[in-house]
Amino acid sequence: MSDTTEAIDPDAPVTGMDYFMSLHYREQICPVVERFSAELMEGRITGHKCPQCGLVYVPPRGYCPICVVETTEADEIVANDRGVVTNYTVVTPVAYYGQEATDPFAKVSIYLDGGGSLSLQDVLDVPADEVRVGLRVQAVWAPLGERTVDDIGNRSWGSAEGAIQGWHPTGEPDVAREDLPNQGGF
Amino acid sequence: MCSTSAVSSQVPSSKSDAPGRTSTSTIEFPYTRTLGPVYGAFLTGMRDGRILGMPKADGSVLCPPTEWDPDTGAALTDDLVEVGPGGEVTTWAWVTEPTRKHPLDHPFAFALIRLDGASTGLLHAVDAGAIDAMHTGMRVVPRWKDERIGLITDLEAFVPAADGGGGDA
Repeated sequence: MSDTTEAIDPDAPVTGMDYFMSLHYREQICPVVERFSAELMEGRITGHKCPQCGLVYVPPRGYCPICVVETTEADEIVANDRGVVTNYTVVTPVAYYGQEATDPFAKVSIYLDGGGSLSLQDVLDVPADEVRVGLRVQAVWAPLGERTVDDIGNRSWGSAEGAIQGWHPTGEPDVAREDLPNQGGF
Repeated sequence: MCSTSAVSSQVPSSKSDAPGRTSTSTIEFPYTRTLGPVYGAFLTGMRDGRILGMPKADGSVLCPPTEWDPDTGAALTDDLVEVGPGGEVTTWAWVTEPTRKHPLDHPFAFALIRLDGASTGLLHAVDAGAIDAMHTGMRVVPRWKDERIGLITDLEAFVPAADGGGGDA
C-alpha cells in the first residue's frame, strides 16, 4: 500500500481496492516461558540442560527435541551473560507496510560461555557492517525499574529486548573460528 | 510469523497478580487488489451512490455483477445498468452478537436483497433494529455513507423502507 496509492482523482473510475487481511488472537504464556521471564526480571538468563544428552536450551523449552524427553525446573541452569557471536544476519529494511527501521541492522546469535545460545539479539555500538562471527560480547541489562518482559511471548525465540537491551563488545580478542563451540543455532 | 516481522506485532498484556500472562498477537497482510472492468465499475457506482448490475441477453440482470455468465460461462461485456435503490429481502440471518469485523456494531441481519430491476440477490447488512422487524419479502432501501471511496461498505446498510412492504413473515 504505497506506491500504488497515487494522488486520487475523486471522479476517476475505481480500479483497485485495499484488502486488509488481519488475524488477531490471544494465547496463554506457557509456564516455562513465564519462569524464564521471571528470571530475566532478576537479571538471570536461564536454560534447561537435557538430563540425557547434556545440551543446554536457552530459553528453556521444557523438552529436549533431540532426545524427546521432558525437561523441568530440576534441569534449570543459570547461563552466563557473556558469550561470543556465532552467526548474524544484516537486515536491509525495505519500506514495506509496517517496517519502522530505515537503516541496515544486524541480528546475531550468541553462544553463552558455559553453554546455551540466544538468537535474534542486537549488538550495541557496532555498525552493522562490522558485526562478525567471533566477536566477544556481554549483555547490557535494562535498568531495574525499566526492565520488562512484556514483549516475550511463546514464540519470541529468545529475543528479550525489554530485559536485555543488547550486547556490548567486551573488548577481548575475537574467538577464532576453529575455537567456536559446535552448538551454533540453539 | 515472528515478532520481528514488520507485518506482525505481538502486544502481550501483563498483570502481575494474574495466574498467567497472555499475549495478544495481530498478523496483518495488506493487499491492493486490481478490480477489473466489472467490479471496478460496480465499486465506482458504490462511490457515486449508485447500485449497478450486469444485464444478460435474456433480459435478466445480475447484481452483484460478474464478468461471466454463471449459467453458461460466456463473457458478459455489456455496460452495467443501474438497479434499485430499493429491493426485497429474499432470505436473511440475524446476527445477535456482531464481531469487530462485521459491518455494524449492533445486532443486524445479513440478507440477500433482490434489488428492483435485478434478478439475483446482493448479500448485504440490514439494519432493522430488532429481529422482529425482519421478514422475508420486506422492502429495504440503502443507507449510504457520506464519505464514499469505492467499497461495498460505502453502502453502510440497507434499512426497512418507510412504506413497509408485503411478504410472508
